[in-house]
Amino acid sequence: MALLEVEDLTVEFYTEDGVVTAADGLSYQIERGEKFGVVGESGAGKSVTALSLMRLIDSPGRIVEGAIRFKGEDVLQMTEAEVRSIRGNEMAMVFQDAQTALNPVYTVGEQIAEAIRHHLGYGDDEAREETIRLLDTVGIPEAEARYSDYPHEFSGGMQQRAVIAMALSCDPDLLICDEPTTALDVTIEAKILDLIEELADEFDTAVQLITHDLGVIAQVCDRVMVMYAGKPVEKAPVEELYYDPKHPYTVGLMSSIPRVGDTRTRLQTIPGTMPDLVELPPGCSFHPRCPYAEEACTLEEPPLLDPETGRPVGSDPTVEHSAACLEYTGALAEGLTYEIDVVDGPEGPQTPQAEGN
Amino acid sequence: MRRIYESEALHRDDEDAFSPSEDERSGRLQSFRWINASLFSRLLVPHRLRSWAVSVRIETPREEYPVGTAVPFRITMKNALPIPISIRTASPLLWTWTVDGYPEASHVPVYRPPETTGAFRFDRGEHKRFSKRWRGFFRVSETEWERAGPGTYRIGVELNVPNAAGKGLSDETTVRIVPESLRG
Ligand SMILES: Nc1ncnc2c1ncn2[C@@H]1O[C@H](COP(=O)(O)OP(=O)(O)OP(=O)(O)O)[C@@H](O)[C@H]1O
Ligand code: SF4
Ligand SMILES: [Mg+2]
Repeated sequence: MALLEVEDLTVEFYTEDGVVTAADGLSYQIERGEKFGVVGESGAGKSVTALSLMRLIDSPGRIVEGAIRFKGEDVLQMTEAEVRSIRGNEMAMVFQDAQTALNPVYTVGEQIAEAIRHHLGYGDDEAREETIRLLDTVGIPEAEARYSDYPHEFSGGMQQRAVIAMALSCDPDLLICDEPTTALDVTIEAKILDLIEELADEFDTAVQLITHDLGVIAQVCDRVMVMYAGKPVEKAPVEELYYDPKHPYTVGLMSSIPRVGDTRTRLQTIPGTMPDLVELPPGCSFHPRCPYAEEACTLEEPPLLDPETGRPVGSDPTVEHSAACLEYTGALAEGLTYEIDVVDGPEGPQTPQAEGN
Repeated sequence: MRRIYESEALHRDDEDAFSPSEDERSGRLQSFRWINASLFSRLLVPHRLRSWAVSVRIETPREEYPVGTAVPFRITMKNALPIPISIRTASPLLWTWTVDGYPEASHVPVYRPPETTGAFRFDRGEHKRFSKRWRGFFRVSETEWERAGPGTYRIGVELNVPNAAGKGLSDETTVRIVPESLRG
């Protein structure tokens, strides 16, 4: 049994302007100790998916379908008290924005210590000591002195570290990191990613890492799910995704990783924007932006398919690599024609670059 | 596009260290006002009057569109009364647009609204406007669409209340889809 099994998760927002399906029939598994990446553009539904696992979606959002089994128990069927006892303890989350996680009116140390007292039943002194140890572990200098600082006295990078310390405080089995480094500059980003990786290895914690950036996934993850408009469009072991991407959107994301010395910005490389989820196009949601789109793509929506056999994979975890493109049903007349070009740099093979035509 | 972290759809709880903390910037006043408004409307305005107070209109810029182009349409909903009105809907789905009576031009259900009622709120004298478009397809199954051929189609809007038409909470207009070559 996998640590986490998400099956057919569907989350809808009932707004005045219409219904937004932010996660649409999503299925995936995470094994114990595994590092699983979720990548996709802004608005793809990554945060909504992650927050659903923790049961943190409120009205007008609704989880309308699906199961989220954590160690075999369906989180969606639990009482609020049961969810609370898992949240933080066994499944913890580093929120996309550190300010969401830290309460401005308590000192950083107090907040973490409180979580430790509450969840692990430590006494005041023990909790304080443990907190200082954790702050030190995540690389906060002079942890003992910083214990009594308020969140606003911390820099962005330090806040993010404190949030990670908090998430790790109860030694969770699953750590969900929602773009833990977006607000930070590259050197700090690299440090925080290293930190997450180290801590995960040390404590054998499974990680679900959410990001816009395939480069970050390559650095940290074992397997990856690419999301577009609320749906998974490709799932694969990281190596395979890089060397043999099967979905045109993945290829687009790949060419948006800047090469060394390349000054193109990301937005220039995949033309167009993701559709408004309140008004999805017919057929394959990616067709308005897909360089390989044909008439068939406007009439049929492909499920995740095994590229070898063309068969839908459903939630079958034994198929390692799957992609949602009509190419694999044989419905395309022209087919996909990109090439993957592995660029060798001074430090060995670098991220492959895709060349479409 | 709305992001989940900036919205009220994120469960916040200061008592639970692992839930997002309360966001002081969020529109508490706003929701407070709404609670009062809907209570007021519930107490003072009889149901029947509430639906009369609100009118619904749908319009398209033109009457004819060539095959393969999207048909844009505009929906206006107006509360004629100088007090806030709250209309109870059959589910959290507040209203839908339809083509030939099919919600969102789909032959299969697109959403799974929970079986709880919803509340469609109008401020005093409020006009709500929505711009949508029908892309000229019908969804015929979970995974398949068909292009609508030349012909006349009814585009409508209705609030999600029983007998919307009888209560004046719906409207309809027609458009002609014409073959490409007849485009003038
Ligand atoms: N409160 C809300 N009301 C309506 N729709 C919402 C709300 N919150 C989120 N959404 C919808 O859910 C979709 C997914 O949002 P989400 O925040 O999960 O995106 P994301 O992939 O995490 O993006 P980002 O990379 O910018 O963080 C959005 O496209 C938006 O349409
Ligand atoms: S199904 Fe068509 S539009 Fe969608 S990714 Fe494949 S080629 Fe592109
Ligand atoms: Mg997000």
